[in-house]
Amino acid sequence: MNRKMRTEILLKGSVELAAKLAGEIQAKYDIKIIAEPNLGLAMLKVRETAQRTLFYLGEVLITECKVLINGHLGIGMIKGDEQEFAYYLAIIDAAYNAELPETKVWTRIFRQEDAKIKKLDIDFKNKVIQTKVNFQTMDV
Amino acid sequence: MGYVAVKGGTIAIEESIKRLTYERLKQGKVIDVDRIEAGMRCLIDQVMSESSLYSESLAATAIKQAEGNPEEAVFLMRAYRSTLPRKHYSRIVRSEDMVVERRISACFKDIPGGQILGAAFDYTQRLLDFELNEETDEDAIIWLHEYALESGAENDHTVLDGLPKVLDYLREEGLLAACEDNDTEPDDVTKESIQFPTSRSQRLQILTRGQTGAVTSLGYAALRSYGALHPTVGELRIGNLPVYVDNPFTEENEDENAYYIGAIKVTEVESLFPVCKQMKHGEKEIEFGIGYGICYGQNETKAIAMSILDHCLETGNPEYPTHNEEFVLLHIDSVESTGFISHLKLPHYVTFQSELDSVRKSKKGGKSKERESVEEPRHEN
Repeated sequence: MNRKMRTEILLKGSVELAAKLAGEIQAKYDIKIIAEPNLGLAMLKVRETAQRTLFYLGEVLITECKVLINGHLGIGMIKGDEQEFAYYLAIIDAAYNAELPETKVWTRIFRQEDAKIKKLDIDFKNKVIQTKVNFQTMDV
Repeated sequence: MGYVAVKGGTIAIEESIKRLTYERLKQGKVIDVDRIEAGMRCLIDQVMSESSLYSESLAATAIKQAEGNPEEAVFLMRAYRSTLPRKHYSRIVRSEDMVVERRISACFKDIPGGQILGAAFDYTQRLLDFELNEETDEDAIIWLHEYALESGAENDHTVLDGLPKVLDYLREEGLLAACEDNDTEPDDVTKESIQFPTSRSQRLQILTRGQTGAVTSLGYAALRSYGALHPTVGELRIGNLPVYVDNPFTEENEDENAYYIGAIKVTEVESLFPVCKQMKHGEKEIEFGIGYGICYGQNETKAIAMSILDHCLETGNPEYPTHNEEFVLLHIDSVESTGFISHLKLPHYVTFQSELDSVRKSKKGGKSKERESVEEPRHEN
């Protein structure tokens, strides 16, 4: 599973999942913290749609953490002040970068979490779509 | 004019700050920051937008500290922001990827995907609801439970994270000129002071972080008489934009290798302005100009006003101040404008003494001249 997909699932899913997966790795491997979870900013580069040029919309507060497992770096990045979450994300990222065997069985867990997220997305969509206007021409 | 250092105000200042704390606490009650975050959504959006820093929790703390004063909250946010390192730049964020919660068009009744009203004050009666005085957390939980049980629009297959743009529809119809992606790296007004004429990226960055009231007032001025524009909102959409950051330690910046860091809510507006164009043989043709507005959170008036000012500044009609980039861009920033206005109440003892001296001298001179002019006729007599 590529990083884009797994970070989407981890961030949209519950923090408990990230804690559980990171816990598996913590129990078996030596984790060296390169950078404790710390706050910083990410500047947003946006494409406007009038002339399709690029500009900076503003910054987002992020928490970032870096760890090393078996000489492989892992980075955890998340919007907001989320110290623990960033640490779990960094461990999971390092586990994938180090190609640890545990990650092989995680694909199924990620798919299950993704299914839960998709169910919530559908519930959200159904509520929003309730506000869609159904225009009818009136007989005057 | 030199500056004179004075002292003696330390104790008074300390006591003044105590009075400020007293004003915040005098009723013996405090607001939890998480309650501000839960119930002051629109104020939080405004503060995040004007401070150019997306963080609901920081904005809630700033609002509490500022006792609900947006300009003070924005100042606090900007000051805090200056203490943080900028670690990353996002991959290009595209509004086409927005998970839409509200999306309307004033141009067409029927747009692909439909008019989705979402959450808006527009359809309320604006009558004060005194029942809110008695509202409890338990009431909120009951309401949420009942709302969750209501059936949704299960048979509608609209996809909220890929709704087509109204502008694209007009481009396909040939009513708007086709437009290719321009990947020129943007300028950053937080890194380098602007010089006139500005670049488009500088204008958009300043407009989006402008004070809501200032942007709205200037946009209104451009509509009412300083340009007499009347745009139509082609599309207004509100929703969450996914944000991705490239791996900082690899050269390969492939899409699937990026880190998803979360989503941000924005309001985006594309306004259409009919523009009369002079053709080769003296014929006139009407076409559409586009104004673009976007801001953090749900702040529809600001985003629409920004789209008006974007169009004004692109046009640059010298007749109107609202088309003058120096007039608009240098006066809409919350911290700059409120800071400069506020500095007037700081001690100006030396400056004022100098002015006072000038007034005294001119009065003295004036009196003697007056006396001379009164006395002169006597001499003549």
